[in-house]
Amino acid sequence: MEAYLVAIAIIGAIYVLLALGLTVQYGLTGLVNFGHVGFFAIGAYASALISMQGVPLVLSFVCAAAIAALVAWPIGLVALRLRDDYFAVVTLGFSETVRLTITSEKWLTNGVQGIPGVPRAFAGLGVGMPGALATLGAIALVCLLAALMLRRIAGSPFGRVIEAIRDNEDALRALGKDPARFKIQVLALGAALAGVAGAFYAHYITYLSPDQFIPLVTFYVWMAMIMGGVGRVSGAVVGALLLMLFLEGTRFLRDLAPDLISAVDMASVRLGAVGLALILFTLFRPQGLVGDYTRR
Amino acid sequence: MFGQLLIAGIVHGLIIGLAALAVTLVFGVARFPNAAAGDTMTVGAYAGFAAHRASGSLLLAGGAAVVAAGLVSLLGYLLVFRPLARRPVAALLVAAIGVAFLIRAVLGLIFGHQQHVFQVPLAWPIEVMGIRIPPMDITLAAVAACALAAAFGVLHLTSIGRQMRAVADDPDLARVSGIRPLRVMVALWLLAGAAAGVAGLMLGVKTVVSPEMGWEGLLTAFAAAILGGIGSPIGAVAAGLLLGVAQEISTPIVGFTYKIALAFAVMLAVLLVRPRGLFGRVEGVR
Repeated sequence: MEAYLVAIAIIGAIYVLLALGLTVQYGLTGLVNFGHVGFFAIGAYASALISMQGVPLVLSFVCAAAIAALVAWPIGLVALRLRDDYFAVVTLGFSETVRLTITSEKWLTNGVQGIPGVPRAFAGLGVGMPGALATLGAIALVCLLAALMLRRIAGSPFGRVIEAIRDNEDALRALGKDPARFKIQVLALGAALAGVAGAFYAHYITYLSPDQFIPLVTFYVWMAMIMGGVGRVSGAVVGALLLMLFLEGTRFLRDLAPDLISAVDMASVRLGAVGLALILFTLFRPQGLVGDYTRR
Repeated sequence: MFGQLLIAGIVHGLIIGLAALAVTLVFGVARFPNAAAGDTMTVGAYAGFAAHRASGSLLLAGGAAVVAAGLVSLLGYLLVFRPLARRPVAALLVAAIGVAFLIRAVLGLIFGHQQHVFQVPLAWPIEVMGIRIPPMDITLAAVAACALAAAFGVLHLTSIGRQMRAVADDPDLARVSGIRPLRVMVALWLLAGAAAGVAGLMLGVKTVVSPEMGWEGLLTAFAAAILGGIGSPIGAVAAGLLLGVAQEISTPIVGFTYKIALAFAVMLAVLLVRPRGLFGRVEGVR
């Protein structure tokens, strides 16, 4: 039971990191990133492949963040020039292209067979509880740092500029600020957070395959962010917890009555529930559960 | 070999063109990229499949696909997109993803996740100048041509079609000219749904019917709509044909899995170099 709780806490914390990345991109800056899972995948594969060359994990984590941020750079250059709706389509296409590349480039990623035996984080403490607890401690610390950083950013001049990009880009331009630079930085920052989340995922699950990085993951994070409340750090955390409750709850329900509903049907129910949640929240509660009530 | 791929590309391109037509109609008038268009295709494929299994007639299958996909599309508009019309475009985008997931989930629950194949009679391919053409491809091309003719007939020869194009050109001017938006929107979503339904049915006959088929075709449809120029029905079809042929011809070179990546690359290039596409009007995409 404790092992199970630690396991879902770790996955939950990975979603918190992902949701924080999306919060800085969409919540604060208004960039509609529909390809978050692409950066998550890049971080996971980068850290796994680099660490399997014998590089220490600390370094491979840094590489994961750096590579994800580096990939965000060209996407940012594109983003400067596109309206929200086009940007959403482009990022969605980006994440699918990442997945297809992972599937196709077998020499690097072993294709659909995936990469087994990714080095476990804190392997020195053994496979059981101590290692898992250490992982949880590490990721909780990273989450805390990221949350504090975002808080700090939101209150800083930089934060005011990116919120202005979200609210009225033309007015900002009229004031002599260049939104381009800020958008690229924000995209890279969110991507780096997703990359670190990917690295934690890789070294915790220890097995990677392209089907773990489908667009559904992106929209899990969107659902978490929207449920928790867009544009707030606490919203990302609350939303990720609600998401875990939902994901584990549906699994638990099926385990209670395995004859009642098959695994694939449960996957459909889950997909439908995500869809319905996205629709209902945007329709009736766009500010989320703990959203900023002073503003629409 | 080249001729063979060209024929396959044209049939595939007609499917993409119909799907892109659905995307571009909605994008041009309702002004957001409808991510549920792909899954509306899937609705058409399953409705057609069920009708075909029950009756054995491809004609009935086509009717079922048009009706079912049109209705689902209209329902999506009335229940979700209409209430969100005055909200930021991000809300519409997220809601469209929600609709897409919901449709796919319901189809998965009703029809199961295994792939279905249309039981169509096998026939010897016809040989024309050394190129072997399966008769089914000719049938499908004819179906697509009829569907496109019907869609363009509605757009250009009927009053409601003219109104649609007027709203697409300038919504405010259309409103002050006395065009009632609700009627136009209902017709628009029905038409877009029907086009997607026929595309889905054709894709199902050509390949297999599965809950993921439409979602997987979505990016290619977006790419064709953007390449053709948003809001331009002719452009969507022309770009669909271009992309279909390009995908088939490139498959032996870059491999099967990069089909979607090719569409993505084309989309990026168009957006960066010529955002109004082949036939689009000048409009800010930035």
